[in-house]
Amino acid sequence: MDINFTKEDIAFRDEIRDWLNNGGYPKHVKEKTDKGITISKQDQIDFHKALGEKGWMGYNWPEEHGGTGWSATQLYIFNKEFGLAGCPPLLAFGVSMVAPVIWTFGNDEQKAKYLPDILNFNTWWCQGYSEPGSGSDLASLKTKAVLENDHYIVNGSKTWTTLAQHADWIFCLVRTDNSGIKQEGISFLLIDMNTPGIEVKPIITIDGEHEVNSVFFTDVKVPVENLIGEEGKGWTYAKFLLAHERFGIASVGASMRQLNKLKKIVSELDNPELDKKIRELEVSLSALEITELRLLSALENGGHPGAESSILKIKGTEMQQNISQLYVEAAGEYAIMYPGPHGYSSNDKPAGPDYAANSLSAFLNLRKTSIYGGSNEIQKNIISKFVLGV
Amino acid sequence: MNLNYSEEQVMLREQIQKFCESEYDFYTREKIVKSSDDFDSNVWKLFAEQGWLSMPFSEENGGLGFGAVELAVLFEEFGKALVIEPYLATVVLSGTLLDKSNYSKKSDLIEKICSGDMHISLAYAEANKNYDYLNSDTTLDNNILNGTKTLVLNGGNSDKVIVTCIKDKKLTLVIIDSNTKGVSINSFKTIDDQSCAEISFENVEIDNDAIIACDLEAIELINESINLATLCVSAEAVGCMESCYLKTVEYTKGREQFGQPISNFQVLQHRMVDMFVESELAKSLLFKAMLEVDSNSEDKYKHVSALKSQIGRSGKLSAQDAVQLHGGMGVSEEMMIGHYLKKMVSIDALFGNSDYHLKKFAS
Repeated sequence: MDINFTKEDIAFRDEIRDWLNNGGYPKHVKEKTDKGITISKQDQIDFHKALGEKGWMGYNWPEEHGGTGWSATQLYIFNKEFGLAGCPPLLAFGVSMVAPVIWTFGNDEQKAKYLPDILNFNTWWCQGYSEPGSGSDLASLKTKAVLENDHYIVNGSKTWTTLAQHADWIFCLVRTDNSGIKQEGISFLLIDMNTPGIEVKPIITIDGEHEVNSVFFTDVKVPVENLIGEEGKGWTYAKFLLAHERFGIASVGASMRQLNKLKKIVSELDNPELDKKIRELEVSLSALEITELRLLSALENGGHPGAESSILKIKGTEMQQNISQLYVEAAGEYAIMYPGPHGYSSNDKPAGPDYAANSLSAFLNLRKTSIYGGSNEIQKNIISKFVLGV
Repeated sequence: MNLNYSEEQVMLREQIQKFCESEYDFYTREKIVKSSDDFDSNVWKLFAEQGWLSMPFSEENGGLGFGAVELAVLFEEFGKALVIEPYLATVVLSGTLLDKSNYSKKSDLIEKICSGDMHISLAYAEANKNYDYLNSDTTLDNNILNGTKTLVLNGGNSDKVIVTCIKDKKLTLVIIDSNTKGVSINSFKTIDDQSCAEISFENVEIDNDAIIACDLEAIELINESINLATLCVSAEAVGCMESCYLKTVEYTKGREQFGQPISNFQVLQHRMVDMFVESELAKSLLFKAMLEVDSNSEDKYKHVSALKSQIGRSGKLSAQDAVQLHGGMGVSEEMMIGHYLKKMVSIDALFGNSDYHLKKFAS
C-alpha cells in the first residue's frame, strides 16, 4: 500500500497547475469566480473553449474518441486541481453525460455529428430527465414521443433543466410505449432546442438566481435519426449515463478551497466555537477524500466499485452545504443582508465582510445538491439495497 | 401551575390567524415584496385598527398593557405567515424602549406609533462590534452627533431614529428626525424580504430635549429592548417551525412517487416526526422565556438566550429538512417553504446567533 501519488502523477498535477496559473484558465473568468460573481454564458463558453484548445475537454473520454485517455487517478487529480483553483464546475451535460451514451450506443453518423462539437464546446447541451410528476421516480416519466413517418412528435414537459436557456441541444428521456412496465418503453432522443414547439420558462430559485427551467414540448418534430440506440432501451442508457457521473461528484478540491478560505476568515474572528466546527469539517473532508481515493484505487485495480460511490454523493454534498453554513455563521449579523446572487454594486456596498453576500448565495444555492442527481435519500436506498443487501 | 393560554390570548391568536389567512396569504405577500415599497402601508393601517400596534405599551401611554405572552403569540402567527411589516423595528425595539423610558416627550410618540402614523427605528448596531451593542464609536459632543450605524431595521422608512452613542464616556440614547441635516441613509434588502439601513451621522446637531436616557438607564433600556426583540423573533421562529412540519406533512401526502404518496416512506416520516418534536421543544423554551420576561425576573436574559440558542440550531435544521423533503419545489422561489429557510437564517443572525447565546446562557 502506498497513499502517495507516483512521480508521474505529480508531474501531471504540475502540468495542470501550470495551465491554471499561467494563462490557460481565462483571466476574466478567474477574476469573476474568485470574487464569487456569477459568470455569464460567454464566460462559460470561453472557459470551456480554452479547455478544448488545450485538448482537455475530453478529460474523461477514451483516446479513440479524441479524449485524453486519462487514468482514474489522473482524472481525480484534474478534478481536484480545478476545484482548488476555484474554477467554475465543468458543464457535465455534453462532455460527461450525453457523449458517453453517444459513443457507446450511438451509430457512426451520430458519433461524427455530435462528438467533435462537444469536444470543442461548439454545442451547449442540457438534460431532459425530471418532469413535474417524475423526480425520484424518474421511470414514471410521461413526455410522449410518437413516431409518424420519419419523425417523432414530442409532447410533454421537463423540469429543473439546468441552463436550458443557453442550450443548443437537449437529450431527453421520452415515453415511446405505455404497454409494459414503466422502465420499458422509454427512449433516448436528442432534440435541437431551436425546433418549433419548444418553450423554455425560467424557474427562479430561493437565492434569486435563474439557473433552472421548465421546458415545454408541443408537437415538436424530431427526426428519427436523433434516436439513440434502440427504441425502448432509453432506461438502460440513462442508468449507464448516471454511472459516468460519479467521479468528481464529491467536489473534494472545491470544498478544500472553500474551507481554506474560511479558515483564514475565521482566524481573525476570535471565535472558538467556529474554529471547532471548522476542524470537525476538516476531518470529515479528509475522510471523504481518502474514501474517494480508495474507490479510485479499487477501480484502477480492476474492481467495480458500484453503489459505494453513493457515499461520495451524500457526503460530498453535505460537506459543501456544511461549509457554506459556516460561512454564514462567520458573517454573523451581516447574514441578514442579502442583495441577491450578484452582490452589491461597489458604490452602495454597506459595511460588513465582503464574503457575507456570497456566503448566503452559496448557502441557499447549495440546498439543491442534496436534492438533485438522485436525492440523498435515494442514494441511501441504493446503498442499503446494493451494498448492505437489505 | 397553568401552562395554558388564557381565553383572551386564544382569541388574540385566532384574530391574527384570521387576518393572516384572509388578508396576508403568500400570494399577497409576494405582491408586497415585489412592489417598490418595503412593506404595505395599508396592512400597517389594519394593524393599527386591530389594536396590535398598541399591544405592548402601558395603559397610561395609551397602550393595551399586554405582556410578553401576547407579543409572542403575535410573532408566532407572523412567523407562520412570514409577515414583513416592520413591527419589530417600530413597536418592539423603539416603542417599548420609549414606553419604559422617562423621556418627557414619549406619550406623543407612542400615540403616533399606536395610530400607525409614525415609524421609529432603533440604531443599536455598528460594524465589527460582534453583537456588543453597548460598545459604540458614535459620539455626542456638545450636542453634535457623529458616527455610523449599521443594520438599522426599517431604517429607510422611519420618521425618527433612536441612536446609541457615547456622551462623556457614557452610553446615551438620542432620538432624531431622519431628515435632519447630516443624516444619510442607505437602505438595503434583507434576506427575508425586509429592509435595513446603514445610517451615518455627520456633525448632526441635536436638541437638548432629544436625549432619552444616559448611562445605566440607557444600558438597561437597550438591554431590555433587545431582549424583548430577541424573544419576539424567537417566537417568530417557533411559528416558522410549526409551519415547516405542517406544510411538509401536507406536501408529502400529496406528492406521489413510485405509485404512492411519499409520506408512506418511513425515512420521511421520521424526519417529519423530528421536525415536529423540535418544534414542540422550541415551544417549551418559548413558554419559559416569555413567562420569565413577563414577570421581569432576574433570569429573563438567561432564558431568552436558551431559547434563541436552541431555535438558531433546530429552527434552521427544520427549515432545511422542510426544503429537502419538498425536493426541487423546496428551492423554488414561488413556493413558500424556501422562504421559511431564509427567515430562519435571518433570525439566527439577528441579536446574536446560536453560539453567541449559548455562551451568554452559560455566563
